[in-house]
Amino acid sequence: MKIGAFEELVLLAVGSLGEEAYGVAVKELLREKTGKSPSIGALHSALYRLEDKGCLTSHEGGATSERGGRRKKYYLLTSVGKDAIIEANKIRMEFSKNIQGLNLGMDEA
Amino acid sequence: MKPDKEIRPPKWADILLKWFCSERVIETLQGDLYELYLIRRDRHSKFKADIGFIGDVFSSIRPFALRKLWSKHSNTNAMFRNNLKVAWRGLVKHKMYSLIKVSGLAIGIAACLLISLFVIDELGHDKNYVDGDQIFRLINVEDNPAESEKWLSHQPLIAQMMKEQFPDIEMAGRLIPYNWFAGGDNQVRRADRKQNAYEDSFAYMDQELLEILQPKMVYGSIEEALTKPNSILISREKAEKYFQDENPIGKTLILDENLEDPWVVGGVMENPDERNHIKFDFLLSLTGQEFWSGEQTSWCCSNYNTYFKVAKGTDPELLEDKMTFAMKEQYVPYLKERGNQYADAVEEYRSYKLQPIGEVYLHSKELNEVLKHGDIGVVWLFSAIALFVLLLACINFINLSTAKSANRAKEVGLRKVVGSFRGNLIGQFLIESILVTFISTLIGVLIAAALMPAFNTISGKSLEMPFAEWWLIPSMLMLAIVVGTIAGIYPAFYLSAFKPIEAISGKVSRGAKTSTLRGIMVVFQFTCSVILIVGSLVVYKQMKFMLNKDLGYDKEHVIMLQGASSVGDKLDLLQNELLQIPEVMNVSASNYLPVSGTRRDQNEFWVEGRSKIDKAVGAQIWRVDDDYIETLGMNLMSGRDFDKSSVRDSTSLIINQTMARELGLDDPLGARIENRQGWTIIGVIEDFHFESMRGGIGPLALALGRYGSVVPVKVNSKNMQATLESITATWDEMMPNQPIRYSFMDEVFASMYEDVQRTGNVFTGFAILAIFVACLGLFGLSAFMVEQRSKEISIRKVLGASIKMIFNLLTVNFMKLVAISLLIAIPVSYLLMDEWLLDFEFRIEIGWLVFAIASVIITVIAIATVSYESLKAAVVNPAKGLRSE
Repeated sequence: MKIGAFEELVLLAVGSLGEEAYGVAVKELLREKTGKSPSIGALHSALYRLEDKGCLTSHEGGATSERGGRRKKYYLLTSVGKDAIIEANKIRMEFSKNIQGLNLGMDEA
Repeated sequence: MKPDKEIRPPKWADILLKWFCSERVIETLQGDLYELYLIRRDRHSKFKADIGFIGDVFSSIRPFALRKLWSKHSNTNAMFRNNLKVAWRGLVKHKMYSLIKVSGLAIGIAACLLISLFVIDELGHDKNYVDGDQIFRLINVEDNPAESEKWLSHQPLIAQMMKEQFPDIEMAGRLIPYNWFAGGDNQVRRADRKQNAYEDSFAYMDQELLEILQPKMVYGSIEEALTKPNSILISREKAEKYFQDENPIGKTLILDENLEDPWVVGGVMENPDERNHIKFDFLLSLTGQEFWSGEQTSWCCSNYNTYFKVAKGTDPELLEDKMTFAMKEQYVPYLKERGNQYADAVEEYRSYKLQPIGEVYLHSKELNEVLKHGDIGVVWLFSAIALFVLLLACINFINLSTAKSANRAKEVGLRKVVGSFRGNLIGQFLIESILVTFISTLIGVLIAAALMPAFNTISGKSLEMPFAEWWLIPSMLMLAIVVGTIAGIYPAFYLSAFKPIEAISGKVSRGAKTSTLRGIMVVFQFTCSVILIVGSLVVYKQMKFMLNKDLGYDKEHVIMLQGASSVGDKLDLLQNELLQIPEVMNVSASNYLPVSGTRRDQNEFWVEGRSKIDKAVGAQIWRVDDDYIETLGMNLMSGRDFDKSSVRDSTSLIINQTMARELGLDDPLGARIENRQGWTIIGVIEDFHFESMRGGIGPLALALGRYGSVVPVKVNSKNMQATLESITATWDEMMPNQPIRYSFMDEVFASMYEDVQRTGNVFTGFAILAIFVACLGLFGLSAFMVEQRSKEISIRKVLGASIKMIFNLLTVNFMKLVAISLLIAIPVSYLLMDEWLLDFEFRIEIGWLVFAIASVIITVIAIATVSYESLKAAVVNPAKGLRSE
């Protein structure tokens, strides 16, 4: 499963949030880690797409008053999603080998 | 679900979000947005949060969120099909009303379509040049307190002088589009052939202007075509005509049998684009041309239209000012040196304007433009009229839809009870109206195609239906949707507002009285119609007035033989031969005639010895012969006619009354006046019109001279055909190599007012359309009224009302509306037409008769329209009307 760079970030964020991954939480985490916040439209768009690709599953629940009583949509990383992250990393490694003086902190062994 | 009290994002954005989101995403997405809203509000401010929320909403307009409007499984699709079905059944059920709605809209749409094509064509002139935005034409402006004048002809040296002074000007070139020396029309032949042919598309052009305009070339190169003196550039069509398939470069053409001055073909260009203002078939090189010695460097004699190509990013207004200053620096001293009174006026009021080449066609009305041009005012007028006709058709739709509302009330009520929201109903009614306009559009396109030839005749264009264009179908669909929405939106809101209980129990008013709104709309329709009728009547009255006005000369039965200059010294012989024909009364010879398309010039006169004191009188000098005044039936008020045998008559003038007045001569006979030479006045003729009646009559002097390319022949004959044959025979005998060309003076005169005639035709055409559409609406409304009141009428008849009473009862309401329309339309149309007539120095009084005729026409038409239904109702057997009770 091929994923784009932004999708990869979203997967990583969802994965690291565990049980608590829903739209706003993912957005906040990404802002914290990358220093820039994706637009809500772009984020939701990516989440739905990743769900369609099978990288994520979702269930609804946890309405709060801050949300005007609207339910949250919680996402979980699937094994397909994990594979996708690994694959994306591999590609990165392949490239970094050919770049002089770039060490991504991986052992060559 | 409403958000909590504390979450108050901008409502409209929230609604927008709800509207475009599918069920699948709305809940979780909206929840996230509210949460973010609160986070932002706590961190920043309410304002920032609002802005952020709006941004979020717009960022969510992405494929994942959008509801599927046409999905196979959704209910909307089924509903839409049901709506279409209902709409179609409704159309079929009420055939007459549907027919009225559809035909009215079809006419409106056809009118719009034709006008749009016209406007697109008008706006598309002079748009296809290389770097067109850098090409300008120079205009002279004189803003003196009395009047503001603009004109196009400049002194010969202006182009190069400005180019040398201002680096912003990359190229400068000149054009002489006038009937001047070899410009205008000529007899043309190859140097190696005898047979002449007539061509009328000659102009002088600078090599540099050719490079500015960059026409496509067939033979030769743009850089060379006009560089040599006496070289001529011809169009592909003419190259094929004179040289068939060979390359004509270097071949020689003889113009008007002038063997002294042969022209050598320097290139062949593609046939000129119909939509460029400069479209001559023959361009004569200005290289090395001197029409008289020293002309090219002098400040006299403005005969040149001047064009510039400026560097990219040049500010034209700045350049105008700089050029104005540079011109005055040299021109004013030049005038003062020669004691010319005009110097002060130039210093004070003269300036230059640069006209972008793209505006030449539509914005040259005030410039004495000789080339074919349109008029932005006409474009606006046409567009306005087209929109009005469409609006009238929409009004019909609205009136009939709301009038028939009672019949739909039950349906609306039931739908609401079953669970339709108002929005669904509005959608349904809009679908209905769009269906109607869609059908109308189809028919409208056909109508437009059918009317195209007539429209072309009226507008003087040769447009075609764009059936092959890719944009026709989408734009027609758009038109149908837009018009359908405009026509349907009010009825949709009106009809969908019924309260279900009242509607089902039949409490909705039956619309027996024409509602105020419908009344206003009918009044509006008829007001427009009356204005258009008055407009066309006034235009025709003015036209008739101009064609029949006593002009001060007699244009009837004068045949103008063209191209007689090639007779050369045998002109006397030709004239004598013509006089042998019994029906020929007089023959003259002159290029100067009181109709357009003949020669004009301009001179400055003073009473002898006062040239340094008085302001000059600008006057025409027309070179004529001693038969001229008699042939054209002019009226010699005092003095005598020319005498060819008298030597001193070579410096004699016959002037018109205006000139005598402007020179301040109470007793002009024998007075001496001067321009470059001295003249003696031997006669005064009555003023006659020699320019369009838009202007007044200027000063004019006749002098003896031989410029005989036109031979006016005055005939007195019952059988014009036979006379023409005799004249042709005489001509052919003298001039075997040149076919005869002639025109009738009265026809040439009439053609000077083609644009007026055209305006009249346009008014009439649209008046007919507008009346037709308005009457359709009136007919529909009256039919509806009768239908509504059929029981009332039957009861009245049973109780003894006469047919006449019933008829009056039904028509009087409509007649009131028509009367109100007249009251509004008469003053409005008076003001409009008065404005239009200001264009004419010699104009009609509008008079009451025009309004009387228009009133009668509209009243008769309206009564006739209403009568049909009213009479039908009045004579019906009451038993029929009451049967169901």
